[in-house]
Amino acid sequence: MAETVSPEQRPGIIELEKPKETLEPGYLVVCWNDPINEMNYVTHVFQTVFGWQRQKAEFHMLQVHEQGKSVLTRESLEKAEHYVHQLQKYSLHATLERDE
Amino acid sequence: MRVIRHGDSFLLYLVRQEKNLLFDLLKLYPQIPVGHFPLSKGGRVPEPEANQRLLEEALAEQRKANKSQLQAFLSDPKRCEPTEPGFRLRLSEAELEWLLQMLNDIRIGSWIRLGSPEEGQEMTRLEPRTMPFFWAMELAGDIQIVLVRALARGKP
Repeated sequence: MAETVSPEQRPGIIELEKPKETLEPGYLVVCWNDPINEMNYVTHVFQTVFGWQRQKAEFHMLQVHEQGKSVLTRESLEKAEHYVHQLQKYSLHATLERDE
Repeated sequence: MRVIRHGDSFLLYLVRQEKNLLFDLLKLYPQIPVGHFPLSKGGRVPEPEANQRLLEEALAEQRKANKSQLQAFLSDPKRCEPTEPGFRLRLSEAELEWLLQMLNDIRIGSWIRLGSPEEGQEMTRLEPRTMPFFWAMELAGDIQIVLVRALARGKP
């Protein structure tokens, strides 16, 4: 995330920027690997829940499979909760994590 | 089992044994223990306990609705139209998606009840008590593959 700059560094611009602590924090929707969900099923769920094309859904599915997890999207808390609920309805291991 | 897209709906052709297996399998829903999946791993969410409870309540509500819908589905005599040599089941795309969710709950829940074994380790966990879970997990997975393939046809 962007750092807050001091007036000395960028005079005139600082008034348009909010201090970091007043910005709404972002939440990452993360899908975690497990040895049970079928790869095609996971791809299908990503396409259905996020409306993604197959190529993008497959990219994230492979990331889950090979790297243990994939960050699917960054959203407000409310939206991230919605996506986690949708993914858990399909019994995928999805959580939301605060973006640092 | 064959699945054919027919306009906006899907036709599932099943022989008698397949239909009986599918219906017996669906009667096992739900299998995933309540609260199995956490809302967050890191826990750095506002009011984590309240938000976790809200998620569990939403999923429990969903599960209740699913059970009612499933009961209606399994007991509706018009659902399965007799054909030669078995049955034809007509489902909308939304119903097929819903069926996938039911099957994956049964699959994942059965795997959890087997002790969440790593891939290929399922057989070492088999004993008379756990055999039905293995059966349910494998069968649900096989049906899922057919349904996902049918849904994928025609998608970008």
